[in-house]
Amino acid sequence: MVTPLEIAEISLRSIAISGTASIIAAVISIPLSLFLCLRDFKGKNLILEILNSMVSLPTVVIGLLLYYLLTRTGPLGFLDLMYTPIAMVIGQAILIIPLMTIFMERALDSRKDVVEVAISLGASNSQAAHRLFLDSLPGIISSVLVGFNRAIGELGVALMLGGNIKGFTRVMTTAIALEVSKGEFELGISLGFILVCISLLLTSAISRMARR
Amino acid sequence: MRKLFIGIVLAVLLASIALLYIISTEKRSLIVTTTTSLYATGLLDELKAKFESKNPGVMVKFIATGTGEALKRASQGGVDLVLVHAPSLEKEYAEKGVIEKNGSIFAYNYFILVGPSADPAGASGKSVIDAFKSIYSAGERGKVLFISRGDRSGTNVREMQIWRMAGLNPKNKSWYIESGSDMVTTLSIANEKQAYTLVDVGTWLFMKDKLGLRVIVDRGDELINIYSVYIVPSGNVRDASAFKEFILSKEGQETINSFKGGGLFFSAIWPVDNTKWLRETWEKWSKIKG
Repeated sequence: MVTPLEIAEISLRSIAISGTASIIAAVISIPLSLFLCLRDFKGKNLILEILNSMVSLPTVVIGLLLYYLLTRTGPLGFLDLMYTPIAMVIGQAILIIPLMTIFMERALDSRKDVVEVAISLGASNSQAAHRLFLDSLPGIISSVLVGFNRAIGELGVALMLGGNIKGFTRVMTTAIALEVSKGEFELGISLGFILVCISLLLTSAISRMARR
Repeated sequence: MRKLFIGIVLAVLLASIALLYIISTEKRSLIVTTTTSLYATGLLDELKAKFESKNPGVMVKFIATGTGEALKRASQGGVDLVLVHAPSLEKEYAEKGVIEKNGSIFAYNYFILVGPSADPAGASGKSVIDAFKSIYSAGERGKVLFISRGDRSGTNVREMQIWRMAGLNPKNKSWYIESGSDMVTTLSIANEKQAYTLVDVGTWLFMKDKLGLRVIVDRGDELINIYSVYIVPSGNVRDASAFKEFILSKEGQETINSFKGGGLFFSAIWPVDNTKWLRETWEKWSKIKG
């Protein structure tokens, strides 16, 4: 039914979509988490709690909300993004931003003493923030990886916004769902195993790189 | 060694991102929402391949869901053509103007009532309506279970119509279980619980060897499963019309009839023009509430 070439193609597409989503999410989450870590203001804990609870939002609900935004009759319909990989990238990025921000904020917070030291040595606020960011880099990178793994393993957004179109928006998770609906349970498990292997390979390589 | 490993991983990452953005945009998209029962068999991929070889400028993209979701997605835009099998829902959406008024029937096959081989309801050999009545009364006596899709799919709509024709309402009965899942999952639940369920012949044929269930009733007008094609006027009408014409052409109809050696789907127009009685049957079902 599914050729090895197709599996390779679907795997690469999964990596590409979730990888791009992770990069976009990181670009937004890094400044956001720095802001949350360094500034003290009323309601900060509330924001962190809201972000935390947003992690529980079912992926299909995020998919549905974006569906109404992106569909041809919706406010962003003119962009004509529904049923494209770009819609999936946007959806997955939004899905993982809360998760990434929380993990990054924790990583930064554990190194916060660096800021005081830097300032006492005469660094400006932005220099201190830069120092904190560099010191927390391993934690930041592992936060990005957590986000990537969440994105590559999710089904709801990919199915709702991408539509599981063969050769275009079919990724690992939607392919697995399709095989299950065809009664090909064994193939579904094999594809799931491949997905975990891909994730393991990427995660270990990037975290090794980060440790150096 | 480690550098090589990291290098390979980075190369894969970059290559895959590049792949994502080198998607050919020269081709026009034709988005078709359809039902899993058609897609999962592989019939649509065969029709797509033949159509695309004749129309190289078009890329047909299938989104396989239940009939309810297929029509709902069409109503939200972004869809050009629908292939569905629930006359009453089709009528509803045609009246709303979401899909064209006069769709075309392009294929048909049958639903089958399946159940445990012991047939504790004694439904085997009866007419469809009587079989459903037997299941209802055996269910009330606590002897059998019935699994319903419960998802507004074409199969689910037909099942609800048959209950209505039998003058029964099984909803909220303890023996009536709504799976809320696709056909394969529903069949698996029926298998685990040794329960009755309604299934389309396509899914049944590829699943039956994995199940300890048997055919209870497979004859009767109530079991005719009609597939229709509709253009979505708000979509890419030009290519949608071309694909629709292809499905209804002699070549398209031949492909449907001979798919997997035949017997899975029957063509509506060629070699025998069945449109008249199919349309009459369709009209009948479109008036019964699901």
